[in-house]
Amino acid sequence: MRVAIKSEWLKLRRSRVTLTIGFLVAFAIPLMSYAFYWVADSGGFGPLAVKADGLIVGTGWDGLFSSSGQIVAAAAFLAFGVAAAWCYGREFADRTFPSLFALAVSRRTISLAKLVVLLLGSLLAVVVMTLVIGALGLMTSLEVSSTSIVGGLGRVFAIGLLSALLAVVAGLVASIGRGYLPALGLLIGLVAIAQLAVLFGTGGWFPFAVPGLIAVAGAEGVPAVTGVQIALVPLLCAVIAFLTARWWGSAQAV
Amino acid sequence: MTTLEGRSLSLSFGVHQVLSNLDLELKAGEIHAIVGLNGAGKTTVMRVLLGMLRPDVGEVLIAGKPIDGLQSDDWSSIGYLIETPFVYPELTVRENLSMAASLKGVASGDVADLVDRAIVRLGVGQWADRRSAELSLGNMQRLGLAGAVVHNPDFLVLDEPVNALDPSGVLMVRKLLKEEVERGSGILVSSHHLDEIARVADRITVIHRGSVAGTIDPSEADLERRFFHIAYEADAAAGLVTS
Repeated sequence: MRVAIKSEWLKLRRSRVTLTIGFLVAFAIPLMSYAFYWVADSGGFGPLAVKADGLIVGTGWDGLFSSSGQIVAAAAFLAFGVAAAWCYGREFADRTFPSLFALAVSRRTISLAKLVVLLLGSLLAVVVMTLVIGALGLMTSLEVSSTSIVGGLGRVFAIGLLSALLAVVAGLVASIGRGYLPALGLLIGLVAIAQLAVLFGTGGWFPFAVPGLIAVAGAEGVPAVTGVQIALVPLLCAVIAFLTARWWGSAQAV
Repeated sequence: MTTLEGRSLSLSFGVHQVLSNLDLELKAGEIHAIVGLNGAGKTTVMRVLLGMLRPDVGEVLIAGKPIDGLQSDDWSSIGYLIETPFVYPELTVRENLSMAASLKGVASGDVADLVDRAIVRLGVGQWADRRSAELSLGNMQRLGLAGAVVHNPDFLVLDEPVNALDPSGVLMVRKLLKEEVERGSGILVSSHHLDEIARVADRITVIHRGSVAGTIDPSEADLERRFFHIAYEADAAAGLVTS
């Protein structure tokens, strides 16, 4: 396993795709979140300001946490999903999949190693993202929050991490579909379905809607997400990891 | 004697039979060439021997062990290059070879030395620390060959190894095959270049329409005539020739 993780980490570290995604999550998402909060807080009457004001709950730190949570829930899921689609799908697009046969390291192990490095990379990006959001709030001297700053940042961190766990589904679909495109289509579809699940009031039991629901927790008419519903996210991630490894173990190089 | 063996291999893709009751054996210390027309089944049989495709009927044995039950050590005895070289464009030549060696079971302490040796053998030293994306097609092929032999395998399976190579690259492959077979490796190699393959092969098997159609002695004078005669006879026996 160590050899496989080392190889996959090297590929992830050298890829422009994953470096760009890491940069976007770590820096672009915090800047977008702050900009969205700032537009809502500025009291303007433009279409964006009205839209932002309707979505963001609270002012000061509360407003920034609300803005960050909602943006992270969608953007981080898509970003990490693209990384997962690339990590698995590139073996088919670059035609390296046949070269992963007849090795001392099994394909099942390689599949799990891909998952490990994706989650490690995602964790790193989410940590930096959370720190940058905190730094933006401190630098602009936001009003004191109704919850602690550490608690609010912890919630944003959790939303990012849950999004990363859910995004591994793109790896499974990229494997079965033998390329990136099926996985990219699925990611967009899942974001849309999650929105519908929330609208119909069943979002808490649809794991892909859970990060978004945590982001708007406390808003009027939004049911609280239970511990069991949150626990479904890592459980689903484990099931996806198992299915992906099984597929890699039995797939042929046709 | 150590062998890589496919017994009674049959495989269909839908209604299209690509391998039909094909037997093939590779012994240690020999170069066994397989030749055939495009679509004859050369690459497919290599894929089956390496576990990339599961035959509908038949079995593959490596050193006497069924392929399904092989342990990681057993797979370390195999090196191959089938169609696309095992190369990641974002990695340097050296990194690609180190990764290949590690995944093929080379102990971490030995990787650097073996990689240096492979770089010299395949003549890619000039590009060793450059990203592989910058390599020409020919140098990519050299890198793929270096990855196939970096761990000193007992068996080598090479599909069209001189693809995209310049004349010096062809000479280099010839030398590489001779060195590997002197070391005791068994080499299964496919090629369209009958004259080239005859220079190095100990025996030549003709594959036609997914079956073994005959053999050619590498020392025969007119290889092309013999090859087409075997293919014609096979078609005639199958009732595919009308006079």
